[in-house]
Amino acid sequence: MSKKIKFSRRKFMKFMAKSGLGAAALTSAPMLNHNFLYNSAFAASGKPLIFAAAEALTGNWDPTTHTNLGQLIFESYVFGYLTRCPMKPENPTQLNFELATEATEIDKFTLEFKLRDGVTFHNGKPFGAEDVKATYEYGSQPDRPAQWYPGQVDVEVVDRLTVRIKTEKYGYPAGLFYYLSSFLPILSADDVANPNNAASRPNGTGAFKFVEQDGDNTIMEANENFFMGKPKIPRVQYNFVGDTATRTLGLLSGEYNVTERLEPEQVDTIVANGGFALNQAVSTENKYLWFRCSKPPFNDINMRKAVAHAIDREGLLDILGISGTYTGCHVSPVKFGYTDVEGFPEYNPDKCQEYLAKAGFPKGKGLPELEYITSVGFYPKTKEYGEYITALLNEQGIPVKLSVLELGAWGNKLYDREGGGPGHMIDCGWCTGSPEPDLVIRTHFHSSSKRITGIVDADIDAALDKERNAPSVGEREQILKTEVMPLLVDKMPSVPLFGSVFIHAMANDVKDLYIYPNGMMSAETASIG
Amino acid sequence: MHLAGQFVRRILQGVVVVLITTFLIFSILRIVPGDPVRLIVGGMAPDNLVEEIAQKMGLRDPIPVQFGRYLSQVVQGDLGNSYQRPKNGMMGQGGDFNANMDVEMAEVSDLILERLPYTLQLAGLALLISLIISFPLGISAGLKPKGFISKIAFFISSVFVSIPNFWLGIVLALFITIKLGLLPSIGYQNFAYTILPAIVLAVETCPFIIRTISVSFAEISQEYFIKSGKVRGLTRNGVIYRHTLRNASIPLLNLLGIQLSTLLGGVIVVEYIFDYPGLGQLTIYAVLQRDFPLIQGIAMVTSALYVGLNIAVDLITYSIDPRLES
Repeated sequence: MSKKIKFSRRKFMKFMAKSGLGAAALTSAPMLNHNFLYNSAFAASGKPLIFAAAEALTGNWDPTTHTNLGQLIFESYVFGYLTRCPMKPENPTQLNFELATEATEIDKFTLEFKLRDGVTFHNGKPFGAEDVKATYEYGSQPDRPAQWYPGQVDVEVVDRLTVRIKTEKYGYPAGLFYYLSSFLPILSADDVANPNNAASRPNGTGAFKFVEQDGDNTIMEANENFFMGKPKIPRVQYNFVGDTATRTLGLLSGEYNVTERLEPEQVDTIVANGGFALNQAVSTENKYLWFRCSKPPFNDINMRKAVAHAIDREGLLDILGISGTYTGCHVSPVKFGYTDVEGFPEYNPDKCQEYLAKAGFPKGKGLPELEYITSVGFYPKTKEYGEYITALLNEQGIPVKLSVLELGAWGNKLYDREGGGPGHMIDCGWCTGSPEPDLVIRTHFHSSSKRITGIVDADIDAALDKERNAPSVGEREQILKTEVMPLLVDKMPSVPLFGSVFIHAMANDVKDLYIYPNGMMSAETASIG
Repeated sequence: MHLAGQFVRRILQGVVVVLITTFLIFSILRIVPGDPVRLIVGGMAPDNLVEEIAQKMGLRDPIPVQFGRYLSQVVQGDLGNSYQRPKNGMMGQGGDFNANMDVEMAEVSDLILERLPYTLQLAGLALLISLIISFPLGISAGLKPKGFISKIAFFISSVFVSIPNFWLGIVLALFITIKLGLLPSIGYQNFAYTILPAIVLAVETCPFIIRTISVSFAEISQEYFIKSGKVRGLTRNGVIYRHTLRNASIPLLNLLGIQLSTLLGGVIVVEYIFDYPGLGQLTIYAVLQRDFPLIQGIAMVTSALYVGLNIAVDLITYSIDPRLES
């Protein structure tokens, strides 16, 4: 009987001992690195610049297909732009020429760019006027999802290194492309002709070339043929790290050189630890409470104003701490056309009740339950201030249910759809790499775009068209400050809650890495150690 | 012959368990909010396009029909392709509009096989650390149930079982990696990056193993054949290691089967905190992105591993104690 069963107790113990050792050897051998016995836990010098990013990339490299901030950051390494706009507080509208060397306004509808000679794309193709023409005409098509362009555009190729941006046919001034030129990455004309190529791999003229994907890490290497010379940093890694605490721990332990989107308390930990520099700047991003304006109850302006008066924005700033700052209109304080609009609806329960009554819901009676959607895992303190806003609205009799969603589900529900987007209010910021205000206000409040709110309002359309078509920069600024911004505050399609302060933390040995107010980066002259 | 019969019976039972688990996961994914098509094509895509693509992908068919189609793929060894991860390893994210993209998506089996060794390494090391801590404590506590070591074991178990793993992970990373610089822990570059996450998992597992060892040792020590060992001239160590330990191994073995399977689930939070590139981290991102094929594939593989481990444990225990076969 015992012969039939191969295992005996003794054999079992021997077998377990042997197989345990064998399994340990098998599972660890391929990855075992004997160096671990004496390696320091800290990342050694000479390693690439590793950026721990809060947002994953989209998987589609065509810059016209997304509004993903993480991908904009990646593009700032790989692609070239006609100009760059550092948006420094002392001179927020200063432009630095990159692929362009000169910009001249020929007339109201024609803007001429002289282009830099001797620049090549990463695949070796020389950069020239045909690439600017292809990029701008492709990106400005109404079917392009990113919709960064103020309207369609024609580009005339004057010679190999001169282009003229022409907008007369489409009825708006070409001067708008002055600031936009710092935000529109230039594609190769060949890639524009074959959009699948543009989608499947990035091919720019930037300081770093795309190498490969390694799991959730995107690896770039220094471009030897970069027109300013090969960057000092040999490699850059864009590592998606979803958890804020992990990003902080990784920075503190030397695994990452730079990280972003930190919570205030994590900033305290980093500061207390020492050895790190903080880059703290008012960003181009305002955070908003967006109303679904195309359906009840927020198709009624009185309801929108009632909510605006129920929100204590000073209380929000207390919750945000160093991550937020006051904003007085629908664009960030560092944007062209910013102004503190007089009569901005501040916290005032009496006014809230007055507007509720005007909307036909005195003390909130008769209102259905309203869904307020927010996200966690990307923006700081969204859940905390979401709960605060919900409590304030409930206090006024407005029945609000807060839905806190993870980032994917929230992104799923973000945009307007036919019949109105999901829920009734949604939290989101909007961040662009240019002082150009239309990237926010036209994108969201003009009836041709209305990304999140779904608002269709003839007065807003007229005001936005008027500022876009202004004959000079000075007049445009005047219209923005005295007409458009006050009108948006009056119509209140979204409540600007606060301006975001972007906090990047980096190791002290990272030098000359410039971080733009929207999080994009310039590392062409940066060094480590 | 009887053992072979048991083996076949357990395999068949295991297949049923895997099928039921897969069906449950499959159905739940389709019931909970979050349309994967919306995440594939992006938040800005119009509703009619979402519906068109959903129809094409068969996602609007009844769940049993979809499940049948999925199973017919699986039996051919095809776990499908990720909805979100292109073949080049990148991950997508909702909020945009990628309907025109023509990028080859990664195969689920490749994604799992790429990550599984890391998770097995982590779980294996965690189990090893657990055993190293638990054996001496559990045996000592079992031999003298009212002694000082027993109290220490009880205290350690109580502390360990009360510590949340995410908290312990952060504290250990802060102290051991950042303050002392002894071990790296965030991300993965070599084997050393496995040690701290494994310690966190081991802390979770230890209390159960300590308890099982001490209880079975205490029970078996009261048996007549153990008590009479000394009379028969056996040494104390001989009694403990040759008789008590062997007889205590069956409940321990059963527990190890369960614990190893539990570890495969426990790695989810730990891998996320430590940015460890294993199956747990992949699972979190797959769930966040409603990557149905990937979630289903991971669920199927882990439930098959769970079932496989428990079948192996059962067969080994049958071999050790043939009475259990009946």
